[in-house]
Amino acid sequence: MAMTTDIKKGLAINFKNGTWLVIEAQFVNPGKGGAFTRAKIRNLKSNQVIEYTFKAGESVDEADINRRKCQYMYNDGANFYFMDNDTYEQFSLSSEIIGTDKRFLTDGISCYAMHIDGVPTSIELPPKMDFKVVTTTPGIKGDTATGGSKDATIETGATIKVPLFVKEGDMIKINTEDGSYVSKAN
Amino acid sequence: MIYDKKTAIQRNKLTKSLRSFFEKEKFLEVETPIMVRIPGMEPHLNVFETDLIVQNKRTKLFLNHSPELQMKKLLGADFGNIFTLTKTFRNGEIGGNTHNPEFTMLEWYRVKADYKNLMKDCEKLVKTLAGKSQITYQNNKIDLKTPWEKLSCEELFQKYCKISLDQNRTFKQLKNVAKEKNLDTNFCKDWDDIFFKIFLNHIEPHLGKTKPTFVYDYPSTQAALAKKSSKNPFFAERFELYIGGVEIANAFSELTDPKEQKTRLIEEQKMRKKLKKTIFDIDGEFLASLESIQHNCAGIALGVDRLFMILMNKKNIDETLLFPLNKILN
Repeated sequence: MAMTTDIKKGLAINFKNGTWLVIEAQFVNPGKGGAFTRAKIRNLKSNQVIEYTFKAGESVDEADINRRKCQYMYNDGANFYFMDNDTYEQFSLSSEIIGTDKRFLTDGISCYAMHIDGVPTSIELPPKMDFKVVTTTPGIKGDTATGGSKDATIETGATIKVPLFVKEGDMIKINTEDGSYVSKAN
Repeated sequence: MIYDKKTAIQRNKLTKSLRSFFEKEKFLEVETPIMVRIPGMEPHLNVFETDLIVQNKRTKLFLNHSPELQMKKLLGADFGNIFTLTKTFRNGEIGGNTHNPEFTMLEWYRVKADYKNLMKDCEKLVKTLAGKSQITYQNNKIDLKTPWEKLSCEELFQKYCKISLDQNRTFKQLKNVAKEKNLDTNFCKDWDDIFFKIFLNHIEPHLGKTKPTFVYDYPSTQAALAKKSSKNPFFAERFELYIGGVEIANAFSELTDPKEQKTRLIEEQKMRKKLKKTIFDIDGEFLASLESIQHNCAGIALGVDRLFMILMNKKNIDETLLFPLNKILN
């Protein structure tokens, strides 16, 4: 087992009898104290998310996980089906495990599957993905009631807040973590 | 980027009522500098540095991480009750929901007052800004009716961890009692490290969830500019305000004894050296001005972006800012 002091986003760790993925790591100096790393970690089996604060420079036990490229195929409501890019083996994960990521899954999209002991347990989307805007209303100049943004539906069916200048048919970049608009895609 | 005009209007309204609150309370608004030659000595804070260059002569300047030293110089010049609304800067902290390296700080100082008077100010200010006696933050209802909850550090450690800080004043004692209670103290190098590791993991998440909470009487080691408690000098007259689990403000009954202040600054300077942080001079003018402060006084720093985040019910501080660095760097 490898030890690391570098607690950062994307690292998998063994902690409290489970394997967890660091989904957010932030350096903080609480009040008048020393440096700590406040981490948000997701249990790779149950999907439970907790916060834990480590002392900066603290060693953690790095988990042995394998990130394998795969492709999303389809879902039947209860389960989501993927195919491994190298072995062409198919596997499924439950809708609960996929969680809010499902709003960005569309046929043929590539992502990563996280394998623990050879078993795929969860997926990881690229941090930013490009999508086509399918429907949106034309932006109205000077409309402050909407806060300078409007709803747009992308090809997966998800609805995203976008700036007023975005038009139907535009390709846009989306942050897959919080579902926010990043920029127009080229 | 989405530039949300609706939120900007809401924020502008809050800023205006904040200013009018202090005007009504007869405070003088003062402007404090963003670039300073000597910033505060807090051992753990990282500063942004820059150079003033005049005809090839370089002078090192720092972006202020708090207007505290400047405000106290004005107290020494008999300015009376003052407040400032300014930008402050902290290096090395970004990400999460509550940090932007550049942020708006409100500081106010009351003369002939101690930290208890500032608790009252906080209650009144937040209630005025909210305009109602209950707010909702991320699906939690927070009751603003006064008086708010007040818990000392000693009480909090007793309540959530069954540990007495007062009876475990050495590193070894605190480490042992934490171990008995099965609390993680990994990688903690001193007493304060253990305090914070326990506080952050087991206490802070509970604070201010249903009612704003004042956490008061911090260990003296964590309050270099505060007056020690007359009841028990192991603790100092300092409080922090929590709303919705978020730390909003930090206040002291100000230490005005220049001799004791100098000793504490020298200790902090040594600590910065040990931690390999940028070293600053001790601000002689600041120490001298303490001598001419006539009355007891108390001061507080409040993170304006964080307070607005709560009042506007935004999950992330970035949503209260038009140009959050986090998003710009992303």
